[in-house]
Amino acid sequence: MKAGTSLTVMPVRESFLSAGRLRKIGLTITVFLAPFVLYGLFLLCYEVNPIELYWSMLKSTFGSLFGFGEVLLKATPILLTGLAAALPARAGLINVGGEGQLIIGALFATFAAVFFLDSAPSWVGIPLMLVFGALGGAVWAGIVAVLKTAGRMNETISSLLLNYVATHTVSYFVHGILKDPAAFNWPYSPQISWQLRLPTITGTRLHIGFILAILLAAVVWFILSWTKLGFNIRVLGGNKLAAQRTGFRINWMYVWVLLAAGALAGIAGMIEITGIEGRLRSTTGVNYGYLGFLAAWMAWNHPLRLLFTSFLLGMIAVAGNTLEIGSGLPASSVQILMALVLFFLMGIARRLRS
Amino acid sequence: MDRKHPGEVLLRTSGLTKRFGSLTANQDINLTVQAGKIHAILGENGAGKSTLMKMLYGVYAPDDGEIIMDGEPVVLHPPMKAKAKGIGMVFQDFRLIPAQTVLDNIALAVGKGWRFRRKQLRERIMEVSAKYNLAVNPDAYVWQLDLGQRQRLEIVKVLLMPGTRIIIFDEPTSVLVPQEVEAFLQMLMLLRKNGYGILLITHKINEVMACADQVSVLTAGKMVFHADTMEGLTPEQLIAAMMGDKQITNVEKLDTGAADEQEVLRLEDGEIVGDHGNTVLANVQLKLHRGEIVGVAGISGNGQRELAETLFGLRKLKHGMLTVKGKGISGGPKAFIDAGVTYVSEDPLKESVIPGFTILEHMVLDGMPVKEKRIGIDWQGARQMLEASEEAKALRLADLNRRADKLSGGNVQRMVLARALMRKPDVLIISYPSRGLDIGTTRTIQQHLLDLAARGTAILLFSEDLDELFKLSKRLVVLAGKQLSGPYDAAEITASEIGTLMLRGESA
Repeated sequence: MKAGTSLTVMPVRESFLSAGRLRKIGLTITVFLAPFVLYGLFLLCYEVNPIELYWSMLKSTFGSLFGFGEVLLKATPILLTGLAAALPARAGLINVGGEGQLIIGALFATFAAVFFLDSAPSWVGIPLMLVFGALGGAVWAGIVAVLKTAGRMNETISSLLLNYVATHTVSYFVHGILKDPAAFNWPYSPQISWQLRLPTITGTRLHIGFILAILLAAVVWFILSWTKLGFNIRVLGGNKLAAQRTGFRINWMYVWVLLAAGALAGIAGMIEITGIEGRLRSTTGVNYGYLGFLAAWMAWNHPLRLLFTSFLLGMIAVAGNTLEIGSGLPASSVQILMALVLFFLMGIARRLRS
Repeated sequence: MDRKHPGEVLLRTSGLTKRFGSLTANQDINLTVQAGKIHAILGENGAGKSTLMKMLYGVYAPDDGEIIMDGEPVVLHPPMKAKAKGIGMVFQDFRLIPAQTVLDNIALAVGKGWRFRRKQLRERIMEVSAKYNLAVNPDAYVWQLDLGQRQRLEIVKVLLMPGTRIIIFDEPTSVLVPQEVEAFLQMLMLLRKNGYGILLITHKINEVMACADQVSVLTAGKMVFHADTMEGLTPEQLIAAMMGDKQITNVEKLDTGAADEQEVLRLEDGEIVGDHGNTVLANVQLKLHRGEIVGVAGISGNGQRELAETLFGLRKLKHGMLTVKGKGISGGPKAFIDAGVTYVSEDPLKESVIPGFTILEHMVLDGMPVKEKRIGIDWQGARQMLEASEEAKALRLADLNRRADKLSGGNVQRMVLARALMRKPDVLIISYPSRGLDIGTTRTIQQHLLDLAARGTAILLFSEDLDELFKLSKRLVVLAGKQLSGPYDAAEITASEIGTLMLRGESA
């Protein structure tokens, strides 16, 4: 990592290293371009001009304030669920449960908004909703933590399966006690009151939730890189046996890391409710958990790189809409592009890191 | 498959040498394997037995010397070539696929072409297993088999390999219970009668006495003893050859005046279980006094790791009482660390090194009192402290910025030892401190351990080097046959007596 600064490195190796670094940069660029080329071939099969399409995708995302806002809007929950995957990953845990933790966070936040905070002023209501959202995510991740530490169950499997349970739990609520009485039997919650909505930036749908997400990413980065706590988490992730022999209470740490991850995803759920949808549906936040996991993988679980990868995924997601309008292909076909991006990154990850 | 000429030389090596970096694992080995003879290779752990066998099986290519078969030099590396020449090996850790049946495992190794000829193979399996008393059920899944059955499967596999002439057994009886050992030796003699050339790697002298025709002893990579006939050979001679003619000089210890009767660690009636819930040691009585070094002798794999881990809270006692400084202790490593216990594990690369972390980070993690700077860590302060540290200097710790996972084994060892010494613990559980180190550093470490004891630390020293144990310890205990025997006063017992104790447990 810091080989260049070491005094013992010989000058000859210095130049070799920089050549190696150039190679790495070249490789990175290739890896980011290759999926677009391949996807372009796919588009050609459907008689869509890829260059035109990419250009319109670029225009729709960077070309206008609104479009750019949409990208940030999409990137926000991806960033938060990405953190929910990246933080445990640094402690050696694989949390695929960002999806479920987000949904349950949204459920808790909505529940609080509808039943307790309906007439609360913004400065009380919004922070409390945030707390409830974080709590919901943490509760859901807490189940994973208990299964992991007390039941010795693999957290990857349990967190993944709990996503389905979460979806059904939300369905249960929006069909039941949370159902909007004025909604003619549609399964969604009542609208939360207007003062609980996040302020938006004029000319866009963009709310201030994305600032919060960036802030949280910075906090996670700071903790991991600069504090004793983060050091310990990285030790645990690096070698569990060594952590145990140093006297760490490993299970205890697992629990707290998972709770924190759940809270981050839960906050994403809360932001979806208060920032965008205004009410809970059984489809709220669908796929953001998995996209976040993807973003975390692409960023090698580094919180600051995650800023970039979640933005990229947000951009591709928004561009999907353009695709539908501009080419007649379904919006979901951008998922092919996302998959290609991931495959290339994963395929190359080991080589880049060594 | 029967050979016509018993005594015919099947394989001969001359001047076989293998080096790993600066370490010479095998030097100038001359060895013959004859049809219808069992050739036993004796030696302690790390003597180079496995390296030699891996060269004969083609896993390693020799650096020097040659292997001669049928009158001409042959290349056996990679193992494919060794197999084609008729060399089969029964490994200590079996190369089997648990999710498949016995039949399929054999088919995988023996079968040729695209088609499994299951029926034909089944017949041959039954034939071979009847002939050599190797009961295997072709339709059982490997995961259902115990270790003894797996070994029989391995042997059947080797026997079914077309053209097998030489069979190498790597510590075959280590996985067997005593009753099985008897049957195994019977089978071995049957193989001999049928003209196979057999190489038997072992450290159990009674087995050698029971069945071998020839015996060679390896010590530190060299063939130090060879006998073409077992006639007139006594077990004592073999023990002496294995231990080498090391004069066990009781190096002058500092008179550990600090050693007093103050007991710091006590294990009573301990029963310790292994990774699979099997009892590894029973009825363990162990006491450590302030300022004394107690050496633990024993052939490795006799419960050393389990005992050490138990004394550091990594493993729960199944039964018994553990007290540190008079107080009963339970819980994990944290409780033990707080009570003043430090542990240096036998495999620091696996258990102590964190990939990507520098030496400095490792030292801060454990060993040095961490200098916290608000919520962060005062790296600069830690660096200065480490650079001033006497222990780090004495152990010639590598550059602090270097990544620990890229260090050599010796450098990792220095790092974990420096950590342990800097802690100045009340109790130090230390496994194989000089493993992988040159003589100079070994001396330094031994001196540091003695000094540490003189200052009042109680040390439990696990080592496979009897020389080291005698040099450092005040008292010795021996692990063998699920028992801990002793303590013996190091000044009153001889190395060969300890050696006998180490081996006796094995046959019990």
